[in-house]
Amino acid sequence: MQNDVVLVIVVATALAFDFTNGFHDTANVVATSISTRAMPPRLAVGYAAALNFAGAFISLAVAATVAQDVVNAGAITPTVVFAGLIGAISWNLITWYFGLPSSSSHALIGGVVGAAFAAAGPSAVLGAGIVGKVLIPAVIAPIVAFIVGAIAIVVCYRVVGRVRPGHAGRGYRLGQVVSGGLLALAHGTNDAQKTMGVITLALIANGNLAADSAPPTWVIVTAASAIAAGTYFGGWRIIRTVGTRIIKMDPAQGFSASGAGAAVILASSHFGFPLSTTQVISGGVMGAGAAKRVSAVRWGVAGNIVVAWLLTMPAAAMIGAVTYGITRIFGTGAAGPIVVAAAGLAMVAAAFTKRVRVGSPVPAP
Amino acid sequence: MLATIVDTEALLKTIVAAFIAGVGVTLIFSLAILGASRFVDLSRDGRSAGAIAFGALAVVALVAVLVVVAVGIIVMTRK
Repeated sequence: MQNDVVLVIVVATALAFDFTNGFHDTANVVATSISTRAMPPRLAVGYAAALNFAGAFISLAVAATVAQDVVNAGAITPTVVFAGLIGAISWNLITWYFGLPSSSSHALIGGVVGAAFAAAGPSAVLGAGIVGKVLIPAVIAPIVAFIVGAIAIVVCYRVVGRVRPGHAGRGYRLGQVVSGGLLALAHGTNDAQKTMGVITLALIANGNLAADSAPPTWVIVTAASAIAAGTYFGGWRIIRTVGTRIIKMDPAQGFSASGAGAAVILASSHFGFPLSTTQVISGGVMGAGAAKRVSAVRWGVAGNIVVAWLLTMPAAAMIGAVTYGITRIFGTGAAGPIVVAAAGLAMVAAAFTKRVRVGSPVPAP
Repeated sequence: MLATIVDTEALLKTIVAAFIAGVGVTLIFSLAILGASRFVDLSRDGRSAGAIAFGALAVVALVAVLVVVAVGIIVMTRK
């Protein structure tokens, strides 16, 4: 019974994380379409939310990686998964508060790894899986998106160089309806699966599922719904600030950037690599910008992304480990997660209130 | 050491697929825009043979883009 209470808290926390993931990433998914006026903001956000939902159903390879290749499922308990989620959410809130660009995906994996390490020692952590399936792809994917975005925009300008600007602009705006849609689909595929993977891990740890099980249908549906709802509600905040915070791009650049991001994320999802969709989309946007004019890219932002990339996994792992230690003070039952969840909610409310009073955080790229 | 940890084949396939899909679709879609634009211009000038050729290019390229996108999604759902 106590374990089931912890499991319910884990599932609720994971879905809350999924919602914030969609909320946080709406800007990345719809920025290019809104910036080039390919779609009106309201339509772009609704379209992205619907395709986020659909994307969650097209693959389970990433969920399998998160559930089986990052930590040893046999050494995991629902409390470990809970501590990992708290590590990820805490790091996301800290970076949101200070306006640092960070990856929800790396925070999630870092949090779970840190909590597993604290609970069961080094044997609970699958180092080879983390390096081979998370860290190496995390380095390569944004670089590939940058190069694909850069080559794509050169191809665009070469092919339509002597076409009337009005025709080219209209054409690429139309194309962005497809490439922006694919980007939203790709985002739903890769990011929702991480939550599915974590919930599946908790279900395996609690004995509700056999090891190596795929996520049950209810997990897929709830994860898809949470990320889609987050995207939809996150969008209204973006709509109010659009035009001042989004990079100015021409339609061809928007088409190239979203196409590059979608291609990299979809290909990676197919092979089960859990990526930072934020960093891949940023790579595509910078590539499409740099190929036209190097100075158009905000290289300082690129530097911040690298710093955040280096900090995110260790920081989330540390918070996950400390959270696990705190829950153990209250024993192995449900008391620890209940106390930590209550304290966490109080801190989130306090931070949000203070942030709102101070002003909006610096936007992530 | 690293080669035993990293699934090099899957990583290379990911990179190749991303390049082909990202750059290939952009190229084909750009050809569709070129075809459509030239079709409009040549039709207006009364050069019907050229207009038909560019119109065909636009239609074929557009269909090719849709086919590539559909095939990509089908491949994704099959794993």
